[in-house]
Amino acid sequence: MVRYFIKRLGMMLIALFLIILVTFVIMHSIPGGPFTSDRNVSKEVEEALNEKYHLNDPLPKQFFDYVGNLLHGDFGPSYRFTGKTVNDFIANGFPVSAKLGGVTILFVILASIPMGILAAIKNGKWQDMLVMAVATIGVTIPSFVIASILIYIFSFRMGALPSFGLDSWKGYVLPVITLGGYSISYLARQMRSSLLEVMGQDYIRTARAKGLSEPKIIIRHALRNAMIPVITVLGPTVANLLTGSFVVEKIFAVPGLGVHFVNSVTMRDYTTIMGVTIFYATFLLAMVFIVDVFYCLIDPRIKYD
Amino acid sequence: MENKWEMLESSNEEREKIWRLNRTFAGDVWFRFRRKPTAIAGFVIILLLLFFALAGPAFTDYSYSAQNLEVVNIPPRMTVYDAPDGSGYLYITQALKVVWVNRDGTLGSQLKKVREDSEHSMTIYDCKGTEVGLYYGFKPYVMVDPETRVIFSSQKIWNQSYVLGTDSLGRDILTRLMYGTRVSLLVAFVAVLVNLVIGIIFGGISGYAGGTVDAVMMRIVDIISTIPLTLYVILIMVILGTGLKSIIIALGTVYWVDMARVVRGQVLSLKNQEFVLAARTIGSSVKTILMQHLIPNAMGSILVTVTMLIPSAIFMEAFLGFLGIGLQPPLASLGTMCNDATENLRSCPHQLFIPALVICLIMFAFNFVGDGLRDALDPKLKK
Repeated sequence: MVRYFIKRLGMMLIALFLIILVTFVIMHSIPGGPFTSDRNVSKEVEEALNEKYHLNDPLPKQFFDYVGNLLHGDFGPSYRFTGKTVNDFIANGFPVSAKLGGVTILFVILASIPMGILAAIKNGKWQDMLVMAVATIGVTIPSFVIASILIYIFSFRMGALPSFGLDSWKGYVLPVITLGGYSISYLARQMRSSLLEVMGQDYIRTARAKGLSEPKIIIRHALRNAMIPVITVLGPTVANLLTGSFVVEKIFAVPGLGVHFVNSVTMRDYTTIMGVTIFYATFLLAMVFIVDVFYCLIDPRIKYD
Repeated sequence: MENKWEMLESSNEEREKIWRLNRTFAGDVWFRFRRKPTAIAGFVIILLLLFFALAGPAFTDYSYSAQNLEVVNIPPRMTVYDAPDGSGYLYITQALKVVWVNRDGTLGSQLKKVREDSEHSMTIYDCKGTEVGLYYGFKPYVMVDPETRVIFSSQKIWNQSYVLGTDSLGRDILTRLMYGTRVSLLVAFVAVLVNLVIGIIFGGISGYAGGTVDAVMMRIVDIISTIPLTLYVILIMVILGTGLKSIIIALGTVYWVDMARVVRGQVLSLKNQEFVLAARTIGSSVKTILMQHLIPNAMGSILVTVTMLIPSAIFMEAFLGFLGIGLQPPLASLGTMCNDATENLRSCPHQLFIPALVICLIMFAFNFVGDGLRDALDPKLKK
């Protein structure tokens, strides 16, 4: 088992290295230097800027310097905002995004699992149809459409909830619903199908034959096993929430990391794009790894090859 | 047949013959597919949308990029006031201009402003020689007679010039919707085609070769699938710049991993069957075996993956368009149309809801068709 985790960790590190390499190569293959702009900058100034940011070094040296700095947690300076570093952006934006994401994950888990259980227990009845209809809508409608409709109804028409900012708990309602919509639907479907499959197993029939009450069968026997596949998709769900937050943060004017990322893309702030991409990727890989470890710990049937 | 009791002549062959209707595999799939109403509905919607996107522009008088700043932000259903002479209507735009509307609902031109009467909170316009006033003292703004200060009677009529209204630059939304649907579908189809080719080649080789080659290739796929693809699509868009070609390249080169996995799995399970052995015995080349024998047999699950990939490509394109790193204006896609409309969501919600509705329709249609195809192709359901 330990060997399996070490192997996973090794693969994760290789993936991370590749991500850094690819991001670096992509960002340095863009025609023109980062200081090429419409304004006429004199040769000397451009030269001095290149010198200051070590852009005249050979590329491999630049790469290893960059990786070395990354290992010290230094993402380098921003090329567009003088005096700011990429670390500043991450330090300012990530806590906001993380708080929103955390609340959303909590909401997703609390909403989707009961929905899935209800649909599975009432299989084929109207409750099931309702849950599945909601889940289908949540999976197929893009989040920015959901957000706009919610804003139009609850903020503009009813005036009940703010359409931007996270100042009070009210501000969280719409972003959390928007951000979690897809994941709730996805997890509820997963929960339903996995519970349905478990309910058809022999040991459930044994439990019924033993004369256990239905709630006891579901909670003690079925749910424990049905939860396992649901936990697996939690890792990718975190990934979804993080990248989905680009749109949500833009619409609801949340000053999170996603907005910084999108802004740096439109402003072509190369070091920020690179740094935030690598930060996101590291975070996601770590999340998937943690979920993986957790998964192996709760399901002893998994073979480690 | 005169004597019904006469023995029928029956040869051995006839007795052995299977009298059941002999359906081909495709016929079989179609039979199961068409019994699912949602799948058929999705299929019909896709056909209608294709017709709308491809043939639609031939029926409109507008171009997707032509701006008409006289008629900006006009909704499909307008509140209009009767003109004093009764020969038409008057419509107040959001920029507090007055537009002439003919009796049949088609739009005319803007009225000329005569003077400002700020004492009575009115702007006076010239309507075919008579003066009319736009009263802006309180909301909603109304058209009044400047002398008697009587409000003209109002009613709601449909906009006949621009059936779905106009956007913030006075472009016809219906026409832009046609082009937007066309672009979104084009991006999705081409991107999925590129994915399909890469996925089939990569997965096919990996599955057929097996051993070390397979292990190495699958490790590559594993590593790629850990990379958050949204980030990479955005990065590729940064290098290639915004535009139709870059979106297709970005989406096409990123999403082949799932396809490769599906193809590999299918090839792996098929390659030890007798027909492959037979093909190998008669000396077919690897290429023939892969392309003529294995891939056609795996086509079922490939098709399902394709129909599931198309909505995610459309989703991604709309996502990029919405973030403002998609197409360059004046080109429209459904995502960029939504993005343009967010600025005046409060006053003109129709500008956002119409393209959003089309996105949802496409997503629903492809998801339903994908579900239907999966059920139709699932051998477990076969009797």
